[in-house]
Amino acid sequence: MSLPFNRRSFLRGMLNGTAVCVALPVLNRFLNVNGSAFADGAKLPVRFGTYFWGLGLTDTPTGGTRWVPSKTGYGYEIMPELESLKPIKDKVSVFSGFRVIGDGRPNLVHWSGHASILSGVAPAAPDRFDGPSFDSKVADAIGGATRFKVLDIDASASRQPVSYSTRTGATFAMPETTPLVLYTRLFGAGFQDPNSGDWKPDPSVMLRQSVLSAVKDQREALMAGVGKADQVRLDQYFTSVREMENQLAIQLQRPEHCAACVVPTAPRETPRSATVDAVRANTKALAKLLAMGLACNQTRVFNFVHTAGISETYLAGESKIYHQITHDEPIDATLGYQPETSRLAGLVMQAFGDFLIELDAVKEGAGTVLDNSLIMAFSDTGYAKIHSIENIPMFLAGGAGGRHKAGQHIHTTGESVTRVSLTAQQLVGAPVGEFGSGSMKTARPITEVIA
Amino acid sequence: MLTKKARWVCGVCIGALAFAATPHAQTPEPTSGKAMPIKVAVLRITETQYRHTIADVFGPEIKINARFEPEKRVERLLAIGSAQLSVTSSGFEQYFAVASSISDQVLDEKQRTASVPCKPPSPTQADDACARQFIERYGERLLRRPLTESETLARLKTASTGAKQSGDFYAGLKLALTSLLVAPEFLFRVETAEPDPANRGQYRLDAYTKAARLSFLFWDSAPDQELLAAARSGVIHTKASLNQQLTRLTSSPRFEDGARAFFTDMLQLDGMENVIKDPTIYPKFNQSVSYSAKEQTLKTTIDLLVHKTRDYRDLFTSNDTFINRPLAAVYRVPFVSSSDWAPYTFPQSSERSGILTQVSFLSLFAHPGSSSPTKRGIGVYEIFMCLPTPNPPADVDFSRVQDSSKGTVRGRLLDHMNNPGCAGCHMRSDPPGLALEHFDGLGQLRTMENGTMIDVSADIYGVKLNGAQGLGKFLHDDPRVPACLVRNVYAYAVGRKTEKQDVDYLFDQAKAFASNGYRLPDLMVQIASSPEFFRVVVPSGVQRASSTPAAATAPLQKPGGVFQ
Repeated sequence: MSLPFNRRSFLRGMLNGTAVCVALPVLNRFLNVNGSAFADGAKLPVRFGTYFWGLGLTDTPTGGTRWVPSKTGYGYEIMPELESLKPIKDKVSVFSGFRVIGDGRPNLVHWSGHASILSGVAPAAPDRFDGPSFDSKVADAIGGATRFKVLDIDASASRQPVSYSTRTGATFAMPETTPLVLYTRLFGAGFQDPNSGDWKPDPSVMLRQSVLSAVKDQREALMAGVGKADQVRLDQYFTSVREMENQLAIQLQRPEHCAACVVPTAPRETPRSATVDAVRANTKALAKLLAMGLACNQTRVFNFVHTAGISETYLAGESKIYHQITHDEPIDATLGYQPETSRLAGLVMQAFGDFLIELDAVKEGAGTVLDNSLIMAFSDTGYAKIHSIENIPMFLAGGAGGRHKAGQHIHTTGESVTRVSLTAQQLVGAPVGEFGSGSMKTARPITEVIA
Repeated sequence: MLTKKARWVCGVCIGALAFAATPHAQTPEPTSGKAMPIKVAVLRITETQYRHTIADVFGPEIKINARFEPEKRVERLLAIGSAQLSVTSSGFEQYFAVASSISDQVLDEKQRTASVPCKPPSPTQADDACARQFIERYGERLLRRPLTESETLARLKTASTGAKQSGDFYAGLKLALTSLLVAPEFLFRVETAEPDPANRGQYRLDAYTKAARLSFLFWDSAPDQELLAAARSGVIHTKASLNQQLTRLTSSPRFEDGARAFFTDMLQLDGMENVIKDPTIYPKFNQSVSYSAKEQTLKTTIDLLVHKTRDYRDLFTSNDTFINRPLAAVYRVPFVSSSDWAPYTFPQSSERSGILTQVSFLSLFAHPGSSSPTKRGIGVYEIFMCLPTPNPPADVDFSRVQDSSKGTVRGRLLDHMNNPGCAGCHMRSDPPGLALEHFDGLGQLRTMENGTMIDVSADIYGVKLNGAQGLGKFLHDDPRVPACLVRNVYAYAVGRKTEKQDVDYLFDQAKAFASNGYRLPDLMVQIASSPEFFRVVVPSGVQRASSTPAAATAPLQKPGGVFQ
């Protein structure tokens, strides 16, 4: 039996009534009948993202956990602070009991946790990582074919833009912080509508390429007689130049038709605010644009910060910020946990639910953008009151193009957080066999969630 | 400081030097057989340095509409952090976009007559001769040294390809200029050291690096033509020329830019741009207040220390300041001037005294919905006394801390102080902040909190004091305060943190600062004219390449070693 469509109908983007976006390198291949993979068995391109929120979730030493399900494996029960994940629970795996092992290094508060998860090493200093964050390795592996190798977004309205993505350990990415800024980067100048019929190469792009070649020509002379640390930093500069070149090269190619892509309209400028509600609304608006950025094939790798490690979010009219409350609020003897802190944690997690739902709302192939993505979500601490780096809540969300056996609860007693990081990297196809160093070095992914 | 007459004489000398120097001398390409120059530091230029440089080179009317990469404070200063930063891909995108926009403005039809020093035979064709003049002129200003021949050729190629492809000579120049503006040698200050001819086996900073250090310290901008001329001829290595330059730099109105940049960094005023306050608790707060508060502190500081050259320590006790309309509302004082800003002196009863009682410090070191004696205390110690605070212990129990709807913050903090896990730090960190408790999280005066009178007495290292004015006097009289300024100016000037081996030098500088009556301009000149200002610190891992085996084994120094 022959397939009910030909190349032409496929390129118009219609497949059993669902939208498909195909990236450049897959031009000459056909999808299988389910729309989940190519006919030759290879998977659709998978996206990878990190999602960070500050101040952990509630799991008190007195046993009052508000987020760790008692059931492991599939069909875990929804705990109070995870209420927002209910509608998409089958697409989210929960990881509990993982910890940071510092090998004698101090617990740098609101820093050691995510620094270890991302770089695989407990950091020595509170303003840098001791290695690159692994998202940069994933971007090198899967991010090259799109306009932006990686996108960094920060919804937190913090004093300084927050990103934990770094290639050198010292310079962190500059994130987009408002919907308008993100919209402009994704869909403003330089964006080529993949569904526009009258594409022509822009000759000014070629001219801009020559600007960069003059810069690159001088690399050798610049690198002569440079110290080690400066060399690393200049290397990063030249990596950024190459990424710009790649961006320009992509702009000279006709973008593939991409039916899932519906170019959004420009959002309005929103007033800057760090209330829990405002940050949630900002997260949702940014997620909506990001989802379309992914669907329109502008990027495949992103880092999203909801709130910083030392989060400054607060409830309007409350003189203490969420961070202070986590430390100051006593544990309610009857409940066994801090009721206000737990309520705030639940509110913060609502934003994560919103975020995933936005990615799940964009249909693509036989599934959604979320199904073709993997998001690793995590915090800086476990139980924030004591800056615990034990039992840091971690999640893997999205289908990773069918590779992630989602919807499970995996529990360990004190294994390294790097196992989850390694699993994430392998799920999206980064060529990584082991991750981390010292006691956090691991070559053991969590096979239960890998198809 | 030199007398007026001496300044005039020096100005003439410099002018003569600039005139005598050969224009557009090429940096010699490395010759074989000699020890090669090394790069001792690579500092990413700051946003204000970028803006000042563009305004100086192309004129203040050039618009720069860009987001700059976040800077990073290390050891209290962004200037030290700039030696650790690189350019991320989104940062480079921004630099690229702003570079194109600057080139478009510089070379638009109205501007090009002024900005291009020559006319091509045909505006629709490439012309290497005119393009070379343009590239060499702006290349030297932007890269802060003459371009090497290969750097010029690379840009000439860009210009000519661009002109041919677009049929427009000026479009080619735009591309060449853009490529200079995104060059690493522009975006980073690449500090270079060369073998010191006077001291065999040792390095000295090369002339252009010295010129840039001076210019960035005093003007927060790239070297001007006169400094470049002094570097080109090499006279900058002489004491006399250095002194002449210092006089010129400090007597220029642009010295204010340098001092503003330094105090913005030291006082952490960059943070004011993103400070967050809860509008339900502080309805008077808005972006305009936050911008004005930063400006108020800078105006006060510059007026006192640069215009009036008063004693640095007066910064903590002087009631003289400037206000505008948005600030007048927060300070609850009338604003009657028809100008945007007006001088204002706070009365004694206002409890305002010195910059610690201004909205900038008080709101920056506070929470969105409340004051924070701890943040303020740490701010006082770190910024003004150079006393670091240890990282908080991870596992502390705050459960005894009461809820904030009752009593005063002092009562709540006493719980910290009674807790052995917290006491060590909070006993030390909180008292300066407790003295400032008559100012709420925005900096508005108050005497009560939750219906209770606020006690503003404090004990700092055994010195008992009362309120903001007591704290101001304490800081005025404590010798660690001017010593800390000396340390900050030096670290800022050289872009690296101070180390143990700097202790004696800093001690001497602090002594000299005191004997000069604690005048800021004198301090900066004193530091910049000391050999330590140009001291070479060789970074680890430098390949000191040389093509002759003898030189390769010459015991120049050990890695990480220090040269005077």
